[in-house]
Amino acid sequence: MRFVIIGTSAAGLAGAETARRFAPQATITLISDESHLPYSRPLLTYLLGGETTREKLFLRSPEYFRDWGFEALLGTPVTRVDPQAHEVHLADGRAIPYDRLLIASGANPRMPRIPGLELEGVFTLRHLADAERLERHLAKARRVTVVGAGAVGLKAADALSHRGLKVDLLARGAQPLSKVLDPVSARLLMEALQRLGITLHLHSWPTAVVGAGGRVTALALNDGRELPTEAVIFSVGVAPRVEFLAGTELSGPDGIPVNELMGTADPDIFAAGDCVLPRHLITGEPAAFHIWPAAVAQGEVAGANLAGAGRRYDGILPMNSLSLTGCRIITGGHLQPNTPEGEVFEELDAKTGRFKRLVFDQGRLVGATLVGEVRHAGIYFQLIAQKIPVKELPCDPRSPEFHPGRLWARPLPGAA
Amino acid sequence: MKTVIVRPERCVGCLQCRLACAVEHSQTKELVAALGEAWRPVARIAVYPGGVHLSFPNKCRHCDPAPCQAVCIAGAISRNPARGTTDIDPARCINCGMCAMACPFGVLTYAPTPKAPERRAVALKCDHCPDRQAQGLPPACVEACKVGALSWGEPAQEMAAKGRSLAQAYFAASRGVAESPEPEMIRLWRQLG
Ligand SMILES: Cc1cc2nc3c(=O)[nH]c(=O)nc-3n(C[C@H](O)[C@H](O)[C@H](O)COP(=O)(O)OP(=O)(O)OC[C@H]3O[C@@H](n4cnc5c(N)ncnc54)[C@H](O)[C@@H]3O)c2cc1C
Ligand code: SF4
Ligand code: SF4
Repeated sequence: MRFVIIGTSAAGLAGAETARRFAPQATITLISDESHLPYSRPLLTYLLGGETTREKLFLRSPEYFRDWGFEALLGTPVTRVDPQAHEVHLADGRAIPYDRLLIASGANPRMPRIPGLELEGVFTLRHLADAERLERHLAKARRVTVVGAGAVGLKAADALSHRGLKVDLLARGAQPLSKVLDPVSARLLMEALQRLGITLHLHSWPTAVVGAGGRVTALALNDGRELPTEAVIFSVGVAPRVEFLAGTELSGPDGIPVNELMGTADPDIFAAGDCVLPRHLITGEPAAFHIWPAAVAQGEVAGANLAGAGRRYDGILPMNSLSLTGCRIITGGHLQPNTPEGEVFEELDAKTGRFKRLVFDQGRLVGATLVGEVRHAGIYFQLIAQKIPVKELPCDPRSPEFHPGRLWARPLPGAA
Repeated sequence: MKTVIVRPERCVGCLQCRLACAVEHSQTKELVAALGEAWRPVARIAVYPGGVHLSFPNKCRHCDPAPCQAVCIAGAISRNPARGTTDIDPARCINCGMCAMACPFGVLTYAPTPKAPERRAVALKCDHCPDRQAQGLPPACVEACKVGALSWGEPAQEMAAKGRSLAQAYFAASRGVAESPEPEMIRLWRQLG
């Protein structure tokens, strides 16, 4: 058997390692257009903030490919997949044959359609090369603007302020992380941003990047203001990397549709990670949500199924952890109940800034947000994932006495 | 592989395990000196109040496969096959909180540590006291627990032993002989309340 995997990041590596366990003899070829050894994308903002080093970015050793018996084609972009011929075509003209293919090509940043994007000082942050280019530019910059207040934008802003830069952060809506945060958590987050000295501009988006002498000098905003800046980092979402599938009908614009086995429309092609459109664990609807743990979990399922193991993916439970200086937030599942019988429980400790918000629907926990104390987050997500009715639990999650002991300790015979 | 076996039905909530854990994870490993250390020693075991006179000691289970390891974006969590533990490398941890999101037992805490002095905080959890284990000693919490709620052993053997003692208790009871599986001191303590 000859397996080919496009992508050497979260999903691709998990796929390759799992496939190896199930098929010790298979030939496994890993392809990436990046020439670096596998590294952690989420660490890029921490690298920017000086909280980790370049060498700690790399998640596998230099001997990794040899140790696992993988053939690695690094620095070689894929231009086309030919499902009929069972071949992957590379930019250097080579065609790599496969019996089964795993597409784990991830995503790339989206860019707004505005003038001035070609100016020096315009950045996105997705690849190690982006971080290195940005680093060189920041050596000469004092004032930076981050466009987009999603998780990556917020972490980038935190990192930049951490290294002493003046940071402006643009949010399109009335609050940061508008898709996943309720107003109370958002207020706690905004207070933290203020303490960090980050200037948050709400309802703001750029209409043009303004420059002089080929370099960025300002951003023109929707409200007519001109915001002076020496660098702009766009973090306004991602689009799946599926250009090389053009003409194959394997992918739509939002990603590659997959079944429970992470299989695509072609029985010999599987897909996993940021490039796919998996099902939502609670609703069962296709939902794009780009997180590392999901890419790993999907990669494991797809890798096992390359080898014919028939493993199933339960679906994606959107969740994320945001840990800024002085503010921790873990949030996941539904932000609001889907039915009118649903209920939202909120508990705010104004003194400590701790906040717990639970969303219930049809007698089950379907969403959770924790600010400040996040230690028990995993327990709530277990309850969501396992879809256990609240009335069957030994203790109500709304109770102030809800903790692991209540769930796992068996009561003594006769004890109340 | 030896592990800490928890019997919550025996826990009286005295918090000795927490104290011993914090001291073991301090720099001096001595109670009085530890109190004055620059990094406040942190316990990696939590004790939660349960039902009446019932407490629950909660610590890392060193799951295999470990959900926390699968989600760690920094490659900071690894399995130590020789010791059977999932270990966190404080030098790699970037305090992102992903592991708290994944741990189904809620056992991770985040605090500064002398093992990574340049960091504001890192993820901390039970490590089965490697320094003590190297000297042939059980983890500090086990040694501190005087009521047998925490013990150090092979899960399979302990389960077999528990099965035997339950069977004996059952036969003893069916012969009409009074049998108390509850140690005397716990019974007395419970009477106090
Ligand atoms: C700055 C930043 C911070 C983040 N922080 C977090 C976080 O804290 N928590 C979290 O859960 N998620 C975070 N994410 C998201 C997370 O990084 C992604 O969900 C994850 O990387 C997806 O993994 P993947 O394997 O699907 O794809 P990717 O990581 O995008 O990897 C795609 C792979 O495919 C290769 N490839 C793609 N196209 C081609 C081609 N045509 N030819 C050859 N090779 C190709 C690439 O080189 C790469 O190896 C962050 C992302 C960024 C950018
Ligand atoms: S931290 Fe939690 S998930 Fe990780 S090994 Fe320990 S108990 Fe398991
Ligand atoms: S907090 Fe540390 S150990 Fe936990 S997931 Fe993040 S980097 Fe890994």
